[in-house]
Amino acid sequence: MTDSTVQEGKQQARRTSLIHSQPVRRFMANRTAVIGGVLMLLLIAASLLSPWLARFEPQAVDVVSRLKPPSVKHWFGTDNLGRDVFSRTLNGTKISIQVGLTVALVSSAAGLVIGLYSAYYRRLDQVLMRIMDGIFAFPAVLLAMAMMAALGPNVSNLMICLSIVFTPAVARIVRSSALVVKEQTYIEAMRALGASRTRILWLHIMPGTLSPLIVQGSFVFAESIIVEAALSFLGAGIPAPMPSLGNLLSEGKQFIYNSWWMTLFPGFALILSVLAMNWFGDGLRDMLDPHARTKRKRSRKGSMEKNTSDNNNEKVSSATQASS
Amino acid sequence: MASENLLEIKALQTHFHTEAGKVSAVDGVSLAVGAGEIVGIVGESGCGKSVTAQSILRLLDEKSQASYSGEIHFEGVDLLKLSQRQMRGVRGNDISMIFQDPLSSLNPLLTIGEQITETIRSHRKFSRKNAWQEAVRLLRLTGIPAPERRVHEYPHQLSGGMRQRVMIAIALACEPKLLIADEPTTALDVTIQAQIMDLIAKLNRELGMSVLLITHDLGVVAEVCHRVAVMYAGQIVETADVATLFREPQHPYTVGLLQSIPSLDRDRAKPLQAVEGFVPALHQLPKGCRFAPRCPHADARCHAVMPLLEAKGSLGSQARCWHSEALSQKEAVGHA
Repeated sequence: MTDSTVQEGKQQARRTSLIHSQPVRRFMANRTAVIGGVLMLLLIAASLLSPWLARFEPQAVDVVSRLKPPSVKHWFGTDNLGRDVFSRTLNGTKISIQVGLTVALVSSAAGLVIGLYSAYYRRLDQVLMRIMDGIFAFPAVLLAMAMMAALGPNVSNLMICLSIVFTPAVARIVRSSALVVKEQTYIEAMRALGASRTRILWLHIMPGTLSPLIVQGSFVFAESIIVEAALSFLGAGIPAPMPSLGNLLSEGKQFIYNSWWMTLFPGFALILSVLAMNWFGDGLRDMLDPHARTKRKRSRKGSMEKNTSDNNNEKVSSATQASS
Repeated sequence: MASENLLEIKALQTHFHTEAGKVSAVDGVSLAVGAGEIVGIVGESGCGKSVTAQSILRLLDEKSQASYSGEIHFEGVDLLKLSQRQMRGVRGNDISMIFQDPLSSLNPLLTIGEQITETIRSHRKFSRKNAWQEAVRLLRLTGIPAPERRVHEYPHQLSGGMRQRVMIAIALACEPKLLIADEPTTALDVTIQAQIMDLIAKLNRELGMSVLLITHDLGVVAEVCHRVAVMYAGQIVETADVATLFREPQHPYTVGLLQSIPSLDRDRAKPLQAVEGFVPALHQLPKGCRFAPRCPHADARCHAVMPLLEAKGSLGSQARCWHSEALSQKEAVGHA
């Protein structure tokens, strides 16, 4: 009897030690997440190492060698003022990632607080969520542009605007998962044991909302890079001489027929960073929310079946038409 | 009198505000729990027994916007007059509660030890290390094998009975004077039920902790309780010592409940005995005795006037019935 319990205990211990590596293994097994993550790390590394990787200052003007195609000296060519496009693209990527990361962190934090409190306090819910709905009602780019116009174009204002724009999406997701956790018996048990509201909210409800929050945060990251680029392209984002990806695209637009490299490479950097972040987020969601994954698989299967049945119906109907 | 009783509920009413108007789920319940006593509340689903229990800890204030009237004295302090902050000091510290479903009463994201130490540390001044030792001691007290290992495990690694033991350990963390057990064994299988009830009875004996046991299982009541209150439609219809209740039930509803217990030596061809009908909805209660529509003895007076909870019989039980005397005579004749 005691022998068997001891053995069981050993097994148990082995199992718990495995659990620590389990998230890592599950992440490595998820190909999209790994590709996205590695790509993102490469982009971050490249943008951080840009002073060493690029041989030219991003703002260094060299009028003699302007609008030069890609060469050994200028890998991505030069722009209309002779600035090195490679260096400018790396710096643009760096700014984009900075903006994306800051916006993701700030809006996740704000959304977490707003979502948690509105899930727990009914009256606060009415006020906070109506405000969130109001913000959510405007298209992201439009709202951000209006706020930038009011605040004036610079990087920190852009971060503030984008954080405000993306907070409602996070708040809603946190609120909905907090509402689910809140109704669990263990929350009531905690109250019966005399835990304070703050304690219940932050120690017991909050952890249950973290995984959807992390996933949403990664999507906010990707989306704020796009919106930042769109705003800069339209001239409402980061002011012109700074090499943000949107600015580079906007400058390149004027020379697109003669100097394709001015738009192609920054555009490629933009696509890569957004794609990497989306892949990463997708993979994270598959990893953290197994239910969503099976649901999606099922619905995909279901829609395929539906399509085939639709085709059959069409065939039948065309056949009946032909016969009549 | 009041000093002898640990908990004394006087004419408690708990109201909920619903779309159908104000509804009293608990209507004039008076009940006392003495020090070291196990008191059972029995009744079918929806009779207000859980609401009574939750009213004592005022768990319904925030969630359901309930309002109370009456008094709940705990060691001479009226709990209904305390502020939320003072109430938090009582919950878990003086009065603990365990719930029906041990499978969902533990936070799946925290280890057993974290959940026990959290309660210990929020009410008592313990260092982290001491709290962990205390958690192990509590788990051992509740009869969990190898508690040193269990404290590091998550709820999903434990069986239902083990989880209920953990819940009890958490409830015991601050040595409460009163434990409210809201159908602690309903979700468990029969052998585990017996073990958990034994554990509760043992803790009552050894720690001198009073228990208010809420159940719909008269077998459980007979086994561990000292006194019983039978509830029907938000009211107590009968209270008595356990032995008296089983020997001389004074209320037709109690009689019905006792008759509906299946026994091994009954004629198996016959269908199981049941109390006919349903519990009335709380917003359309009968005017007279609430049990009258289902009662085999009901007459015009029962339908018109509500009886009061009065002393009946010779053994000190109280019942809310016009016909108790006739009933006990008939029972006596039946037995003879």
